Amino acid sequence: MDLRPVVALLLVTAACPGREAARPSGAARLEARVLAGGVAPPAAGLQADKNPFRGDRQSAAEGERTFGVMNCDGCHGGGAVGWVGPSLRDGRWRYGGSDAEIFQSICYGQPHGMPAYGGLLPPDAIWKLVTYLQSLEPPANVPTQSWR
Amino acid sequence: MTRMTVLTLLAALPVGAAAQRGDWPMPARDYAARRYSDLSEITGANAARLRPVWTFSTGVLGGHEGQPLVVDNTMYVVTPYPNVLYAFDLTREGYPLKWKYRPAVDPNALGIACCDAINRGAFYADGKIVYNLLDGHTVAVAAATGKELWKTRIADLAQGETTPVAPLVVKHRVIVGASGGEFGIHGWLKGLDLETGRIVWTAYNIGPDSEVLAKVGTFQPFYDRGADLALTTWPADVWKNGGAPVWGWMSYDPSLDLLYYGTGNPAPYNPEQRAGDNKWTASVLARRPEDGTLVWAYQFTPHDSWDYDATSEMILADLSVNGRPRKVLVHFDKNGFAYTMDRATGEVLVAQPFVDLNWAKRVDVATGRPVIDSTKLTGASRGNVKDVCPSLEGGKSPASPAAYSPRTGLFYLATNNMCMDYQATRATRIAGTPFIGANTPYHAGRGGQLGAFIAWDAGAGKKVWQTTERYPVWSGALVTAGDVAFYGTLDGWFKAADAKTGKVLWQFKVGSGVVGNPITYTGPDGKQYVAVYAGIGGDWFLLAGDVRSDDPADVRPPADFMSDIARHTSQGGIVWIFAL
Repeated sequence: MDLRPVVALLLVTAACPGREAARPSGAARLEARVLAGGVAPPAAGLQADKNPFRGDRQSAAEGERTFGVMNCDGCHGGGAVGWVGPSLRDGRWRYGGSDAEIFQSICYGQPHGMPAYGGLLPPDAIWKLVTYLQSLEPPANVPTQSWR
Repeated sequence: MTRMTVLTLLAALPVGAAAQRGDWPMPARDYAARRYSDLSEITGANAARLRPVWTFSTGVLGGHEGQPLVVDNTMYVVTPYPNVLYAFDLTREGYPLKWKYRPAVDPNALGIACCDAINRGAFYADGKIVYNLLDGHTVAVAAATGKELWKTRIADLAQGETTPVAPLVVKHRVIVGASGGEFGIHGWLKGLDLETGRIVWTAYNIGPDSEVLAKVGTFQPFYDRGADLALTTWPADVWKNGGAPVWGWMSYDPSLDLLYYGTGNPAPYNPEQRAGDNKWTASVLARRPEDGTLVWAYQFTPHDSWDYDATSEMILADLSVNGRPRKVLVHFDKNGFAYTMDRATGEVLVAQPFVDLNWAKRVDVATGRPVIDSTKLTGASRGNVKDVCPSLEGGKSPASPAAYSPRTGLFYLATNNMCMDYQATRATRIAGTPFIGANTPYHAGRGGQLGAFIAWDAGAGKKVWQTTERYPVWSGALVTAGDVAFYGTLDGWFKAADAKTGKVLWQFKVGSGVVGNPITYTGPDGKQYVAVYAGIGGDWFLLAGDVRSDDPADVRPPADFMSDIARHTSQGGIVWIFAL
């Protein structure tokens, strides 16, 4: 299936509200984020703290598709099991696992190479990605690994 | 005197080759990339008495690929990201640091590097330690003081470029390249001025002849004819994100004045998005180091459909092939074939499988092209293509360079016995994000063992002996005039083997899996020492997630094809030194 039309549609409607994206010149160089597609997220206040699609299966399915189309799987692995980037389905979150914190990580990126997607994806598409990740049931916590 | 004459005179001085007999001044010790030392104190008769004499924790958990350097009784160690450079004083008890250089490296490189934050090492030349930081910079540091002499931005993280490759310094040129075959980069090689760090030339591996630096009359590939080969073997514009990264090893023949390096995979992994041969991806290129001019090129895997990077080293040797003495380069490709080539012309003399493979039946040396099994061709429209051998980790990983002994005439290398299924999907290029388009789970090849350490006769194209290993073998090799070969295993054993028979003479458990390359040198006391990094990582950072214990926010199950590796090792970088 040719996914280019999907991407084109996503690009047209991009507008991601959130914290300020532009940084003052002279700020620590190593604070900068990678910008997906070279497009900076807009500087505007985050409108909602709660995921409007939480638990919605259709939204999770759309989010799963976006997870592939936007190359999230290239770092986080198919099914978000982890690859060069961390697992997003182990129930553990480096940068916070609340609705708004996951949204912020996708929109504005994170310092270890997570690109900011807020310049490419509209808020609804990001919330659907959040919905997809939240739909993944974390495995049972088994702290012991043993061998015979 | 004209400027050109001065340059010519300077060019005659072998800057990087001023090393003493017992030193190890560049990644493979010599320009021929042999990883051979004529030290002979350690032999088959006494290797069993090797013992550790010193260790050092690098404080870094990433995969410890690459190797230390030893020059003038000082050992230089570059860590994985954040690329700390340590200089140890080998003349004092306990080898205290002379200095430590800690550069600022952009942590975004961690997410742009495809496969762990590794570094493949430094190069000593003209009193400088030259190496690459992961975030796209080359630095030169004064070997005596640790002072930064220059720092040059060579690559662009925003385009998916990172720089773990070890430089090669030839004739006042620092030769560097970039990784990013998984990010749709436009692969290149650059030549920097050793004194200032200034970028003197940039040669792309893909694109029009003007960018590839292929000039009429000078560029003479053995098998191909025509202009703009690296453009016409691609769909329009697709070449601009076509990959061909440079992340392996380089070698140099002073008599031919040719620099050799291999290029990585075409992007994306889904071959249906890039009809054509996709030159010069998965290829060897021979250039003039002074100005980058392309002299010849050969593509090992045309229209690569399996991620068979050709970034493994090109080892230069003088061998008898079909009864004739030949000046050859020998290359063990990810695709499973070992190539013995005329290094002046690029003619393939011998191409034989060194591991089980099934994507091709053979290589036709008359045309230089592999005879491909069409049932193993991949693509988004072909669904899940089952059981392709070798896996994309390679019959041999380019991360684990081979060694060559002129005494035995044999090549020594770590190999993998893994196959894969290959499900390609359409990929979309978004700058700064991965550009892959394939899911490729692995399984063990015939016999069930995942690796072996082998000896290879490159004149005949035959395996001479092999020692099977339970896990993939991912360390480099070292061979000495004592006829001892050294390698390490993924489960953390460092081994000495008889170079003639393969018999393991000695082994020691080094605390973490070995993905680095052993070296040997003479200490200030005149004794022979052997050094190697322990520190599992590289692709095993991705594939053996349960060997990681550092991040409580990232917990992964074991790899299904290698479920018990975490029983034997976990992450952690250690420098080891052994002696009799």
